[in-house]
Amino acid sequence: MIPKYLFQSILILFILLAMKAHGWAGEPTDKIKLTSDKILSIVTDQNLKDPARAKERKALIRKAVDERFDWAEMSRRSLAVYWAKRTPEEKKEFVSLYGQLLERTYLDKVEGYSGEKVIYEGESIDGDFAIVNVKIVTLKNVEIPVQYRLLKKGNNWLVYDIIIEGVSLVNNYRAQFNSILARSSFAELIKKLKEKTDEK
Amino acid sequence: MKRSLLFFLLFASWMMIPSVIYGIPSDRELTVDQGILETVVDQRMAQSGSHSGDSYGHGIVIAGLEKKDEPLEEEPIEDVIADPLEPLNRAFFHFNDKLYFWLLKPLATGYETVVPQPLRVSVRNFFYNLVFPVRFLNCLLQGKFQGAEIEFVRFIANSTAGFAGFVDVVPYSPTLKEYQRYEEDLGQTLGVYGMGPGFYINWPILGPSTLRDTVGFVGDAFLDPMNYMVPRTKYNISVKSYETVNKTSLTLGEYEDLKRAAIDPYVSLRDAYYQYRKNKIRK
Repeated sequence: MIPKYLFQSILILFILLAMKAHGWAGEPTDKIKLTSDKILSIVTDQNLKDPARAKERKALIRKAVDERFDWAEMSRRSLAVYWAKRTPEEKKEFVSLYGQLLERTYLDKVEGYSGEKVIYEGESIDGDFAIVNVKIVTLKNVEIPVQYRLLKKGNNWLVYDIIIEGVSLVNNYRAQFNSILARSSFAELIKKLKEKTDEK
Repeated sequence: MKRSLLFFLLFASWMMIPSVIYGIPSDRELTVDQGILETVVDQRMAQSGSHSGDSYGHGIVIAGLEKKDEPLEEEPIEDVIADPLEPLNRAFFHFNDKLYFWLLKPLATGYETVVPQPLRVSVRNFFYNLVFPVRFLNCLLQGKFQGAEIEFVRFIANSTAGFAGFVDVVPYSPTLKEYQRYEEDLGQTLGVYGMGPGFYINWPILGPSTLRDTVGFVGDAFLDPMNYMVPRTKYNISVKSYETVNKTSLTLGEYEDLKRAAIDPYVSLRDAYYQYRKNKIRK
């Protein structure tokens, strides 16, 4: 008799543990936290601040960012209807250039990190979509609401848009791309992207 | 003189309101979001069978794209602001850009090195506290009575304990801690009433705005105590200029960041302004 109950309770315990590990609540938030903490630890690492290791530091941050952001999805959303008209090679080139630009923008922000606080304010999940709300408190005591939008890919959650103070990054780039594509060509857009990523 | 000019501007702008509300592409912001787009998504979902959609009210345009390689027959529904004055706006954008780099930025940078940051934050607090009537009345006009109450309490606390508004005491007070700012203005109030943005206007010196927000700006000027405390135009402009230099000294680098990230800074700023205001009205 007793072993049977024991077995049952162990089973239940295992299911509970599995659920927790699987992260039924807060999985997207955990992913964002994971990446943010990783980047923060790189940025605040005193050893890495040595100018001789600047390249290594940048590469580490870049890797951490790449893991969490879905550049292809961002490209698709930013080009919207123009995406379907592109050849696979064009898409590939665009994703690479746009990814570089976004990455650099993100790096610029992170490089300037000086002790801002990040407060996690909850999430909502609907199917494969998730929103994670974050509040950044700057040293000047200004609160900036930031929202991450994530898409589930396999077992992972990847960011496809960041909304800062209500301004969506993807929408902002879409407006720019549309304005260029409406009056000139895709080749022109690629040229402009190249010029932009070649800066510095 | 100045007041009569303001009055004329306000009057002239109010005359235009009916055409703004009933005419033009302005209603996009509020109606299209929920109405037309949803039907388009519904149609697409019906076509493509099962699909979860994007129920966050965002990217509904793209939600239909979720199924990859699905042919898109419909024209793209763009949620962008109308910009019939684009050539003129671009000229003013260019002017403001030069104004920033050649005049405002050097001034603000010099000022930044001389005046310590806490003092500059205090000055900003002072000016912010002063325009309380604008926030208070617009809270009331929007039916945000709690917001009006909070703004009132904040104003009293900061004007007294905060030395005429130089110190924002609210975050330090255990009882008032949760009293978040309600930054309401007339442009938002008009938006809440259902008025669309009209079209984009990039004013020289003043920067990004819309037809609606310009009306709001003029209306709010009547409630800005500074315009009554310092009514003479040249002194008024001096005070406003100082306020701008002080404010800019605290946000140096932000415009540069925008430019650095943008492929077309003019469009980037236009869209950022549009999205930002839309979000503020929604709140």
